[in-house]
Amino acid sequence: MNRLGFSEEQRDCLQEIINVAMGLASDKLARFLNTFVHLQVPSIALVGAMHIPEEFENRYQDAEAALVSQGFFGNEGVRGEAIVLYQMENAHKISALLGYEAGDVSEIEMLTDISSILTTTFLNGLADQIENSLSYSAPRILSSRHGNVADVLKNTSFHWEHALKVDISYQLIDHSFNCDMILLIPGEAVSNIKNILDRILEAY
Amino acid sequence: MALPVLICDDSILARKQVRKSLPESFDAEFQTAGNGLEALAVLRSQEIGLVFLDLTMPELDGVGVLEAIKAEGIDCFVIVISADIQPEMQKRVMELGALAFVQKPVNEDKIIGVLKQYGFV
Repeated sequence: MNRLGFSEEQRDCLQEIINVAMGLASDKLARFLNTFVHLQVPSIALVGAMHIPEEFENRYQDAEAALVSQGFFGNEGVRGEAIVLYQMENAHKISALLGYEAGDVSEIEMLTDISSILTTTFLNGLADQIENSLSYSAPRILSSRHGNVADVLKNTSFHWEHALKVDISYQLIDHSFNCDMILLIPGEAVSNIKNILDRILEAY
Repeated sequence: MALPVLICDDSILARKQVRKSLPESFDAEFQTAGNGLEALAVLRSQEIGLVFLDLTMPELDGVGVLEAIKAEGIDCFVIVISADIQPEMQKRVMELGALAFVQKPVNEDKIIGVLKQYGFV
């Protein structure tokens, strides 16, 4: 987390803001899936976007994976792209819960829906706390086949300087479900975020 | 006499937010804990009147703390302050004996409302 010069206070502040946003997203997801979600503290890290493919290569190299991407735009130069990564094995568990057949075409729609719920609820919760408001582009599937996840990530993250990794692990009441969320942001957004965090910290 | 109060949250910011939301008329002596295990260590060794308790924490979460308080018969009031707002979670902590549930992020209105409701101020 400190690789890009966040102070411990800034890191703690960002972590708490993310926890609150995560709580909102989990509540939404739980309602959508009609189940209970066991919340864990998400681990966060800010890294150079070029390191993103290697960070995820191991976890996703042997598994069929799906990547869903959604762009976001706000005030004060806050903008970026949110990517949710799933192993298909996890996606199948969710579709079973919702009554889809594995491999069903609509499973892709379901993944897009879930990603959109997670991303927009999470980012709206984040934006509220930093007194910003965001708009979104439509979610799009980047890959849903047994492809090279690292290559897809490389092509996408290529356009951005920094990435905020949020490692989300959801445990549903009788299933476990993991996904990763990556927020790709431009260089100037990092200093904006630091200013915003300092403003919040000054208030306390 | 000042009320012994424990603020338990893994986030420094969240602990400060609680402290800052409390009214001046609230006469208390504060201690803090960074996770559930630290909170239990304080609760087992000292008399604490009121706990502000986060739920999602490393080492031991807030539900674990509430369970231990109940099992060990520790005498204190608990106000849960959490980002985990699922109705089932709120029901669960109330069943475990929490006095109230406050949604994060906290502010003066939320905290004062609860403190007034239960006669702490």
